[in-house]
Amino acid sequence: MGRGWAGWLMLLAVLLAACTGSEPGTAESPTATRAPSPDATATATDTATTAAPTGEETPSPTQTAAGGGTLVVAISSDPGGLNPAITTSGGTHTASELLYNGLVDLGPDLEPIPELAESWDVEEEGALYRFHLRDDVTWHDGEPFTSADVKYSFEEVLLQLHSRTQASMGPSLESIETPDEQTVEFRFSQPYAPLLQQLNVTEAPIIPRHIYEGTDPLENPANNEPVGTGPFRFVSYTPDAEIVLERNPDYFEEGLPHLDEVIMRVIPDEGSQVLAFEAGEVGWLWGVPGPDQERLAADPTVEFLQTPVNPGGANCIMTVSFNLERPIMADLRVRQAIAHALNRDQFLERVLFGQGQVAAAPISSGIPWAHAEGLDMPANDPAEAERLLDEAGWQREGDGTRTAAGVEGVDDGTPLAFTFVHFPTFSAYGELLRAQLREVGMDVTLVPLEPPVFAEQVFTARDFDTNIISYCNATDPEIGVRRMYHSSNIGEVPFSNAAAYRNDEVDRLFDEAQRTIDLEQRGALYRQIQEIAVAELPYFWIVETVGTRAYRSSCSDFQPSGHFAKTASCEQ
Amino acid sequence: MTGRYVGRRLLQVLPTVAGIVLVGFLLIHLAPGGPIIALAGDSGDDEYYAFMTAKFGLDRPLPEQLATYAGNVLRGDLGVSYIQGRPAIDVIAERLPATLLLAGTALVGSSVAGVALGAWAAARAHSIRDLAVTSAALVLYAAPVFWLGQLALLTLALRTGLFPVQGMTTAGGPETGLAWALDVARHLALPALVLASQEVAAVARLTRAGVLEELAADHVRTALAKGLSDRRVLVRHALRRALLPVVTVIGSRPGHLLAGTIVVEVVFGWPGLSRLLLTSVQTRDTPILLGIFLLVAATVVLANLVTDLVYGWLDPRIRYR
Repeated sequence: MGRGWAGWLMLLAVLLAACTGSEPGTAESPTATRAPSPDATATATDTATTAAPTGEETPSPTQTAAGGGTLVVAISSDPGGLNPAITTSGGTHTASELLYNGLVDLGPDLEPIPELAESWDVEEEGALYRFHLRDDVTWHDGEPFTSADVKYSFEEVLLQLHSRTQASMGPSLESIETPDEQTVEFRFSQPYAPLLQQLNVTEAPIIPRHIYEGTDPLENPANNEPVGTGPFRFVSYTPDAEIVLERNPDYFEEGLPHLDEVIMRVIPDEGSQVLAFEAGEVGWLWGVPGPDQERLAADPTVEFLQTPVNPGGANCIMTVSFNLERPIMADLRVRQAIAHALNRDQFLERVLFGQGQVAAAPISSGIPWAHAEGLDMPANDPAEAERLLDEAGWQREGDGTRTAAGVEGVDDGTPLAFTFVHFPTFSAYGELLRAQLREVGMDVTLVPLEPPVFAEQVFTARDFDTNIISYCNATDPEIGVRRMYHSSNIGEVPFSNAAAYRNDEVDRLFDEAQRTIDLEQRGALYRQIQEIAVAELPYFWIVETVGTRAYRSSCSDFQPSGHFAKTASCEQ
Repeated sequence: MTGRYVGRRLLQVLPTVAGIVLVGFLLIHLAPGGPIIALAGDSGDDEYYAFMTAKFGLDRPLPEQLATYAGNVLRGDLGVSYIQGRPAIDVIAERLPATLLLAGTALVGSSVAGVALGAWAAARAHSIRDLAVTSAALVLYAAPVFWLGQLALLTLALRTGLFPVQGMTTAGGPETGLAWALDVARHLALPALVLASQEVAAVARLTRAGVLEELAADHVRTALAKGLSDRRVLVRHALRRALLPVVTVIGSRPGHLLAGTIVVEVVFGWPGLSRLLLTSVQTRDTPILLGIFLLVAATVVLANLVTDLVYGWLDPRIRYR
C-alpha cells in the first residue's frame, strides 16, 4: 500500500487510545458512539457541514482560470488493472479510458473524428486504410508516440487479448504496415467496412510499445501504473479503494482537459453510491437506480445525462432468445404468440422506470443508419396470441396451462411449460414475463444463474427454452449484431448466437454488408436482415436500455462515455 | 507439556489446511463457468477462448492442474491472478490490512463490550437494566447485518453527517501520518460498529447466562461469606469461570467475522479481503480464491488452537499433554 509501517502503527495507537476510553461504552449509550477521539469528532463534523460536491481536499491548486477543480467519480467495481487494451471488462474501461487514446474518436452520430490519427485515406474499395498520425503526441513518460506503437498495440495486444476487436477485425485483417513514423496502413483480405467504428479508445486503445514490448502484456507492472497518451495521467491506485488521475499538461488537444484531478472511488453497492453522492463524497455516478432517480431529481443541484453508451458496451437491447433446437420453440407460431402476449411498455415502466425505450427494430436506434424504421414488430395483442396457440395445437381448458394436442415433436397432453434463464440481476424481467405469459396459458419457470454459469448452461449445455440477454450492438452491427444471427456463431462461445438461428440468406447479407463501404447501401442490407429477423423471430427485442449519469450542477460539459471528463469543468 | 502440545497441534494444522484447499480446488473447478468469460465479457470467439484457456493452462487435465498448483504452493507460489495478472499473494497481502483492521477492531471491541455488558447485566439480574441489555442484545442478534449497515448509513452518516458514507479514506485526503490514521479511524467507526453489534449481542447473552449460573454456585457463596466485596466476587470468582464458554464462542468468531465482513465491506465500500473474495468468486479467479481459502483456513485453525490454550489458563483443571 506504500504507506509503510509508520502509518499503520499510528493508526494502531489511535485505536488503542480509543478502545481504552470508549470501547465498553459503545453499545451502552448513543453519545459514546461518535468517533474514537475528540480530534476525529471535530474532523467529522467539520467536513460534514462544509463538504463541497467533490469532498474535502487541500484548498491550494483548485483556483485555476479554466474551471479546474477535482471530480470524484463513483465506480462500482475494482478495475483490477488499468490497461484497457487487454480486456473488454467494463470496470477496467471505466477506470482507465481517460488515460489513453484511440486512433479516432466517435461523434454523437458515431461518425469518426480525428484523435491520434489526424486524417485517413480509404483505398482499394475499403481493403486498405492509411492513417496519418499526429506528430505532437507524447506518452505520459515523455517518449514520443509513433506508428510503431500502433502496430505493436494491434498485433501483440488488441488482436489477441481484446476479445471484441480480435473477434470482429481479426479474421479479415491481413497486415499492418508502418511506412514511416507518422503513417499506419491496415490491409484487409477483402473490403472491410466497419474499421473506422472500431478504433476509438473503447475498442482499440493504443498502449506504449517501449514499455510493453518483450513482456507478457497481461502481467506487465505498467498495467497498475499505466502510461498513456490520454487527457489525464496516472497518480496512484489503491486496489478496491481509489484511483487518482491528474491533468496531463502536455495533452495534444489544445486547452484540454480542464479538471485538475479526477478521483475514482470504488463503491460496489448501488444504494451506497447514491448515499455517497447525496452526502457529497462523490460528484459523478455512472448509473442511478430507477427508484432513486425521482428523489435525486427533486434536488435542483443534481443534473442527469442519459446515454445509450456504456463503457462495457453501447446500444444494448434486452433480448429474449428462443432455443430453436427445442420442439416447442421451433414453431414460429409459439414465438409469435409469446411476442404478442408480451406488453413491452410495461417492461419499460416497471423494470426500467422509464429509462430507455421499447425496441422498435432488431438493431438499436443508437446506430441510426442501420436501425430500420417502420418494421412490422408484433404488437401487444393477447387475443392474437391465444389464437396462434390454439392454431399451433396448444389447447386451453379454463384458465390453466395449455396442453399439447397434435403438436409436432411433442407428446399429446404435454403442458406448455418452459424455462426462462436469466442473470439474477434481471429477475424483474423474468417475473414480469412470467406473469404476462401466464395470461395466455403458458407456464414459465424462472432459472436465475450467475453469469459464468449462465454462459455454460446456455451456450455449452444448451439447456434452456428461453432466456434474456443484454445484447450490446456496440458502434457497428458488425461488432454486436452479426454474432447473434450468423450461423458461424452457433457454438460454445458465450453471448453469440443463443437462438442457434440459421438462415443462409441472412448469412449472405451479413457477409455482403461487411464488404460494402457505402453507408447507405450497407444500411439497406441491414434493413433486409431486420425484416427477415422480425418475420422469423429467433429473438424478441424487448427494450433498449440507457445509462443515467448524475452529477452536480457545479460541474458541466461532460461526455457520455470514454473520455467523459475530458471537456468537463467544475466550479470550486 | 504445553510446548509439546502446541507443537503437535501445529503439525495437525498442515493436513487440515491441505484438505480444505483440496476441497476448495475441486469445488471451484467443478463449478460451471470459468475465468475467461470474465475477461471476454459478452464478446470473443473460439480463437480467443482457445488462446486464453491454453495461456492459463486450463486445457490440462484436472489432476495435472492440481499437482502443478500443489507444487507451486509448497514453494510459496500461489500463482498469478487470471484477472489482474499479478501474483495472487501480492493481491491478497495488500487487502489483508484493511480486513484485519476491521475484523480485529470488531472482535476486540465486541469481546470487551460483550463481556462487560453481560456481567453488568447479570450483577442485577431481572432489573430494568438487565432487561434493557438482554432485549437490546436479542434485537441486535436478530437484525440482519446488511439492514443494520444501511440503517447506520442513513441515520449516522447521511442524516447527521457524523461519519463518512463510503470507503476507508477521504478522496484526496491525507496520505500519511497522524492525519491519515485519524481519517481511517473515522471511516472505520461505522463498519466496525455494525460488524461488532452481532458479536456483542452473542457474547453479552452468553456471559450473562454464565455469570448468573456461577453466582448461585457454592464457591461464590463461600467467597461472599469470607467477606469479599460483591465486585471482587463478580469479577474474580464468577466471571472468570463463566468465561469458559464465552472464550469458545469468541474463538470461533474469526470465521463468523470474516463472513460478516463480506456484507459490511460491500455496504461501506471497505477495500478489504472479503470484497476481493466476492469478486474473485464471480470472475472464477482461482489463484486468488485458493489463496484466500488457505489464509482463512489457517486463521480459523490457529484461532481454535489459541482458544484451547486460553482454556488452560482460565481453568486450572485443564492440562495439555
